[in-house]
Amino acid sequence: MKDTLATAKHFVERLPGLAKDFFHYSIIGYFFETKSFQDAFIYTKYWAFIWGNIFKLVIRLFFKKGPVAVVRFFMQYPWILRFLTATKLLRRLTKGRKGAYLESTALVIHAIAVLLVEKLEEVIYQPERLLINEDLVPPEIAMAMGLNVWLVEGMGILLPFLNSEACLGFIDEAENAGMNPDSCSFVKSAVGMVIKNQQPKGCAMVSSNMPCDAGMASYSYIEKQFDIPTYRVDVPYNFHNERAEKLFVEDLKGMIAFLEKHTPGRMDWEKLRDICEKRNYMMELELELWDMMRVSPAPLASEAIWLSHLFLFHWFPGNKFSIRLYERLVELAKKNLAAKIPAVENEKYRAVLWNPPFPQFPDIFNLVERAHGITLIMDSMSYNHHDLIDTSTPESMLGGLAKIIMDGPMVRHTRGPAENYLDDIFRCYKQFDLDMVWIANHVGCKGGQAMNGILREKCREMKIPLLVLDYDLLDPRIVSHEGMMKQVDDFMETVMKPRQPLPAL
Amino acid sequence: MKRFQELLESPQNDLVEQAVADGRIPIGYSCSFVPEAFLMADKLFPVRLHAPGIAGTEIADIYLSNFICTYARSLLEFALDDRFDQIQGWVFVPSCNHMQRLIDNLEYLKKPAFSHVLDVPRKVTGATIAWQAEELRTLAEKLSAHFGVDMSDDSLSKAIAEWNSFAEVIRSIGDLRKRPVPLITGTEFHKLIMASLVSPKNLILPNILDFRKEVEKRDGIGVFRARLMLAGSHLHNPEFIRVIESQGGLVVADHFCTGSIPGFMPVATNGDPIRTLAEHSFKKTLCPRMMEDFDRRLKAIIDTVKEYQVDGVVIEIIKFCDLWGVDSMPLVDALRKEGIPVLKLEREYSLGGEGQLRTRVQAFIESMGK
Repeated sequence: MKDTLATAKHFVERLPGLAKDFFHYSIIGYFFETKSFQDAFIYTKYWAFIWGNIFKLVIRLFFKKGPVAVVRFFMQYPWILRFLTATKLLRRLTKGRKGAYLESTALVIHAIAVLLVEKLEEVIYQPERLLINEDLVPPEIAMAMGLNVWLVEGMGILLPFLNSEACLGFIDEAENAGMNPDSCSFVKSAVGMVIKNQQPKGCAMVSSNMPCDAGMASYSYIEKQFDIPTYRVDVPYNFHNERAEKLFVEDLKGMIAFLEKHTPGRMDWEKLRDICEKRNYMMELELELWDMMRVSPAPLASEAIWLSHLFLFHWFPGNKFSIRLYERLVELAKKNLAAKIPAVENEKYRAVLWNPPFPQFPDIFNLVERAHGITLIMDSMSYNHHDLIDTSTPESMLGGLAKIIMDGPMVRHTRGPAENYLDDIFRCYKQFDLDMVWIANHVGCKGGQAMNGILREKCREMKIPLLVLDYDLLDPRIVSHEGMMKQVDDFMETVMKPRQPLPAL
Repeated sequence: MKRFQELLESPQNDLVEQAVADGRIPIGYSCSFVPEAFLMADKLFPVRLHAPGIAGTEIADIYLSNFICTYARSLLEFALDDRFDQIQGWVFVPSCNHMQRLIDNLEYLKKPAFSHVLDVPRKVTGATIAWQAEELRTLAEKLSAHFGVDMSDDSLSKAIAEWNSFAEVIRSIGDLRKRPVPLITGTEFHKLIMASLVSPKNLILPNILDFRKEVEKRDGIGVFRARLMLAGSHLHNPEFIRVIESQGGLVVADHFCTGSIPGFMPVATNGDPIRTLAEHSFKKTLCPRMMEDFDRRLKAIIDTVKEYQVDGVVIEIIKFCDLWGVDSMPLVDALRKEGIPVLKLEREYSLGGEGQLRTRVQAFIESMGK
């Protein structure tokens, strides 16, 4: 009784804070803050679209499967409730942004909402066609076979955007089950979701040796838990040669044969051609966007570049909504460029982020824009430089896809000689006329950590300001948000601050 | 036994020095996927890279960070300290992220005169065995061109025959652990194995034969409480086993990279020697880097438990090793389901926390009712 009273008292005491918070992140809070009718219109439009998508999912489920199914669905996947805070994410990431830049950010969040609903509906209505995929195995082949792809690691990326503590329960679950606590939290989170039975279970699974030991090894466990047939693709260490490409194409053919044997999917080469052509088109649009990003100050920045690529190329390549998003991003960038409007009003420093971005603290880019004028121009996950897929024959398409997989950012950066990792950074630095390199120094990424020594020396030689920002990908208990911001502030103060002239004697 | 201990006190022991003085060429390697027999062709001889007595890895930490396994860090530290100055060539396998980055940092900080990365696939199929054979063929050509050694099929077949007869001797001693009262302790056997991995085989063989004669005269190794099996990653320091055995847990089976099961199984002698070695390297190594081999690893452990009448399995993992760290999760579950008691231990490359280790082993043996 005493405890209940204390809890109630604590809740009442917190009420003013919670109400203030709710108001601040609500659309009314936005209206109080914005000074532009046009920005208010853009914000409201996407706010309504996002809520519309959430309602669409629930209402369809209600009418198609009934109220019991709705309850059962939310009980099986309770993390879906996190998406009710999607508009809070919109508010957080668009803070201080205006015009086309505001729209680009809102557009990406909206795209995620639309495509995620599409994905969840596949899980609900077509479970027999659900293929469980590791995040670095591109989905084009499975899509061409009429299968729906679910990325085991997908929610590990998305949920922390909405709430930085969203994955802690999963991480703890994996550690309690015996997984080494020093392994990557991204992997732990995926495994934790599997243990808690909160991942959809497909008809088969495809994993790989990418990108790291922990990710690869975790699939032994996931396979046992799901008890479904599993195929693993194996990217060679030295992959920049025809021999490796040939071996890997054979591996992909093995994967197709496996999927035809164990799933209802059948290879449709015409469909694959269509997907590859659409993916090529997406890539052309992205390259057009990059060309504009080379201009200083940049017409767009941050989520329009990194979040769009991370989500759409990895999970929805060739999807009509993905294409529409890229077309619109290009239009918005062109609009700003023509009007000479910078995305970040006080763009002072142009930065690249190397290694995966900060899912549990995506606000950092918005904060540093406003605090220091640091503009995120590019990131390693987006920075691809491969050819378009040659769609003339099935063999050429598999060859093209093989190259995309082997040359994928976290793949080429984690194998082959050190140059695969280092040269890309310097090439990007030059290509986008950058002022600084940020390393997202995820504590669980051992391969990345072990490159920092060389990188530090190379950057010193080349006089490139380097910020190695310590953090954990999904776990804010390792380094707090304040701790991350402090690292940026210290870097700006000690490294980037213009030297003051010495006072005259 | 004292002789084996002496040979383990330096990364390049006096037998290595003697062989180098005789004009032979030591090739360093750090992963069991490098077939030892391959590096025994002509004047070559393999030396398993180890860092005995490493006190700290201050310089290596700067480059590799504190989150990389201490084996990789120790090797880099020793390399930067010129402790491998007799080693004339390095053959690496990108066996894990840590080894990959060791290669990268070594190439940057102290590029060896000869180094080669053997790109070993992570699954076994017809195509990957052919790939592995091609990898070995490329290495043979490079070794031949750089050192002027004979890497022909005849030379390799001769090396395989030599390695097989050596492995036969090791297995015959290892089999003495199968007896109800073994004639050799796990510590002694591991000293012998490690000494054989870091020395030229022909030069250490007489010592091993003498030791076998001595052991065969024994009645047994005395009183012990439980028969244990060690499984896991690289284990170089026999002191780790000594501590376990000091608590009454006799280590009768060694199922790790630098152990004898199944590392010393013979290489087939029919057919193309390179192809045979390629197949052999997949068969004789049970590492979680092989992503489709979980069931084979599990079965091998269970079979060994039965064959050596093991009471409990100790899984030892070097801190920060993701391969073993993650793989051990389903492995421990699966072994326990089979009714096999399991103790999972995290450790560093060099022996530390001896008291804690003793307590854990004591508790484990007691939990088995021994």
